[in-house]
Amino acid sequence: MLDATPKTTCDQKAPFDPREWLRLAAMPHFMCPGCGHGIALRALLAAVHDCGIAKDDLAVVCGIGCSGRVGGYIDANTMHTTHGRPLAFATGLKLARPDLTVVVVTGDGDCLAIGGNHLIHAARRNLDITCLMLNNEVYGMTGGQASPTTAATRVTSTTQSGAIEPTFDACALAAAAGAGFVGREVTRQAPALKTLIARALRHKGFAFVEVMSDCTEIYGRKNDLGEAPEMILSQKADMRPEQHRDAPDQPFRPNALPTGVFVERDLPEYGERLRAHAAAIRGEITP
Amino acid sequence: MTTLTALHGNHACALAAIAAGCRFFAGYPITPSSEIAEHLSHAMPKVGGTFVQMEDEIASIAAVIGASLGGLRAMTATSGPGFSLMQENIGYAAMVEAPCVIVDVMRGGPSTGMPTRPAQGDVMQARFGSHGDRPVVALAPASVQEIYTETIRAFDLAERLRTPVTVLYDQVIAQLLESVAVPAPSAVRVRERKWANGASGWEPYAADDDGVPAMARPGDGHRVHTTGLTHAESGFPTQAPPVVDRMMRRLLGKIDVNRALIEKHETLAAEDAEVLIVAYGITARAARRAVTTLRETGVKAGLFRPITLWPFPEAALARLAGRARAVLVPEMNAGQLVLEIQRIVGHTPPVRPLTRIDGEPIAPDEITAAVRELAVHA
Amino acid sequence: MRPLPQEDFAPAPRPASAGLNILVVGVGGQGVLMISKALALMAQRRGFAVKQSEVHGMAKRGGIVFSHVRFAEQVWSPTIARGEADMLIALEWAEALRWLDHLRPGRGVFIADTRKIVPPFACRSRKLGAPSAYARETPADVVGRHADGCALDATGIATALGDSRAANTVLLGRLSAWLDYPVAEWHEVIAAIVPKGTREINRAAFDAGRAWTPPAPDEAPAASAAAAVAPGPDLRIGVSIDAAWCKGCGICVKLCPERCLAMDGPKAIVRTPAACTGCRVCEWLCPDFAVTVRNEGVPA
Repeated sequence: MLDATPKTTCDQKAPFDPREWLRLAAMPHFMCPGCGHGIALRALLAAVHDCGIAKDDLAVVCGIGCSGRVGGYIDANTMHTTHGRPLAFATGLKLARPDLTVVVVTGDGDCLAIGGNHLIHAARRNLDITCLMLNNEVYGMTGGQASPTTAATRVTSTTQSGAIEPTFDACALAAAAGAGFVGREVTRQAPALKTLIARALRHKGFAFVEVMSDCTEIYGRKNDLGEAPEMILSQKADMRPEQHRDAPDQPFRPNALPTGVFVERDLPEYGERLRAHAAAIRGEITP
Repeated sequence: MTTLTALHGNHACALAAIAAGCRFFAGYPITPSSEIAEHLSHAMPKVGGTFVQMEDEIASIAAVIGASLGGLRAMTATSGPGFSLMQENIGYAAMVEAPCVIVDVMRGGPSTGMPTRPAQGDVMQARFGSHGDRPVVALAPASVQEIYTETIRAFDLAERLRTPVTVLYDQVIAQLLESVAVPAPSAVRVRERKWANGASGWEPYAADDDGVPAMARPGDGHRVHTTGLTHAESGFPTQAPPVVDRMMRRLLGKIDVNRALIEKHETLAAEDAEVLIVAYGITARAARRAVTTLRETGVKAGLFRPITLWPFPEAALARLAGRARAVLVPEMNAGQLVLEIQRIVGHTPPVRPLTRIDGEPIAPDEITAAVRELAVHA
Repeated sequence: MRPLPQEDFAPAPRPASAGLNILVVGVGGQGVLMISKALALMAQRRGFAVKQSEVHGMAKRGGIVFSHVRFAEQVWSPTIARGEADMLIALEWAEALRWLDHLRPGRGVFIADTRKIVPPFACRSRKLGAPSAYARETPADVVGRHADGCALDATGIATALGDSRAANTVLLGRLSAWLDYPVAEWHEVIAAIVPKGTREINRAAFDAGRAWTPPAPDEAPAASAAAAVAPGPDLRIGVSIDAAWCKGCGICVKLCPERCLAMDGPKAIVRTPAACTGCRVCEWLCPDFAVTVRNEGVPA
């Protein structure tokens, strides 16, 4: 690589210092006070540190929306792409550069609405990408419109008398589409979230992690969910799967869904499969 | 050593991509471009490249840009409907200055139109399809041989200018079998992208005099932020009017600065032409025949054939059109490039369209008749 | 029962013909049920009617476990009422104290491991080295004053033998000294109920417990009542807030378990730095990377 700056290394045994991973000139970040995305960002950086991944070997690909702006604060190779498409961009990048650790940071609208097709195909293909979906149940950047994870009865700019559509269970979707690793965690459990992300990073193949994040300024305010501390505290209290099952008409947060690792299975990784296939076509090995 | 071989247009395009060093192809099946993907699905792995069939055209161009940002020469191929889907991300590629090649094999439109019929209806989509102002380079080969050479040139331009380049041709040439002189690999020249070299003070979008910034590769230590938001030289978003103005004018300006490099055209009997035909792609082949026929009967007809459609070789056309009494623009659409020709030529001499939108190529006789009429009246 | 003569290591064995109420207590994972099973088997061999009832289902590891063992010519109730236990075998010190009132006043025998397993809720101050709210009573406060018997470091003895998990068998050995049953029979019963690979260590633990003698007064470890580290400012622990990055969302203020932080207008500040225990909740949950916790020795 010509005479570029010396490559960075990552000493995973040293204490984690987020300032070593942030683009300090860009800080403080532009997220609203109390926004859960900042907590998720910290957990991601700590997980990357734990895995000993050097900044130069890390590529973070984001889409559009609040989640799309997360990557720009990471001192790594970062790409802020188009709405809904980060997984497709990441597919090209990872196939071109298998040496990179490719992390996609996306949101509920980015990943499940406009980018839903790319999610299911990325999960099906099982290319070695870690996809972090920050689910705040709303389109925050555009002013708080309903997303595919906005729970029934919730008030948003486009559901002013309450949402009526059913929501996506993103983890079930990713699992059904064939993802090798699927997990979910709330930002309230940030250390557990870090551990989950680290596990996803170490997983070979497509790993999907749904992060239940709080939109404090728009979604929280419109729905009287309290200030940031109340919202993050209620993440735990709201984990009521039985309510989700039995009373779908009652207001509930999608983080009433269970957390943890739902799928962890060894499947053939697409990049390796593709390269082996190419070698067979070249006659280097017998298929 | 040059080899003579008979190839279909789409096959020639695939071979040229490999020869040009393209090592990444992502695509989605669509008539009449699918043969490019089919050939590359087998040819790409043979040279250590990657072929991937994506879930749609949006994903295809996204993957291509991802691979390009990763450092590879990358390409996709499609037809009108797929080209429409790609437009947003083509704008992204232009904005972040990711080199890539998009082949658009034009078919009858609008909408699903006539998938197996030729047209030249994507000329303006290639120019204005993506929102906002962006640098545009589009090439229009007129033969299978030219598909080969222009595809290679598309890569050369894309890499040197750090911009997406569109290769536009129609269903007729795509599926036409013609003999092609395939140059020896050593004779194929695609210049290396300008890579960042770690010099201090380097910024990802600070351009040299040629308007083109040096590019970093992930892993080379630069750790660049790439965004479709309007950004400053640093790569980070900005809305400061003076910075936005500077960055956007540089982005658009890199095409103007390098016009000599990009523009390409061919003429036939144009120097003393009283009626100048401006035609491209398959239509230019009919026009060539028409010029020959007309000259034989004493009509001073000439042909100006742009090989680069965008940016249009306007200085060359303006010079020749200034000597003519009329300009005829035959094309397989309702009149698209003719608008650009009218802009360049102005009111004198008069510029007349000759359009055909029934899925049939324009025949030499139609052009001959139109020229004769112009020659009488003009 | 007659008082335990402290100078005489061998307590007078109870006549094998008499029935007994024995309460075995501890916390999850210590082997309370193994002791009661051994006792029940032994009593059965002597032809007694035996009743054993236990609570262990919700204990998991670290929760309360207790087992009532009653044997006599005829036994009706399966549980031992308060003040009616002849013997209390405790595998954990605080549990020994908790069940003390079940012993027959003035006549019960008390056998306890002095090891402390401090539950998290006893740690009222999370400062490093802060005293816990664990029971303050020492063996000297109990043995010979409220009950007779002995308190020994059974876990230490078992550890010295090679496996701390055999502490329960050490206590069983100690208990056997009060019962007039043949040692060989005890060995048989233990061998029958422990996993095959642990028969040797359990036999050794039983013998060690049976032969245990109280240490001479001058041998008593002086460090048993080691002064707790006084709480106070700890230079290795500290919290700071970068006002330039703080957006005043209040998460750190509301979620700090020690109430160290406070809002000062639009920003969070550190109000009582000395109260910080370095738990890092504020650091993890600050969306703005404004909080930094120094806690040497605790992974970030």
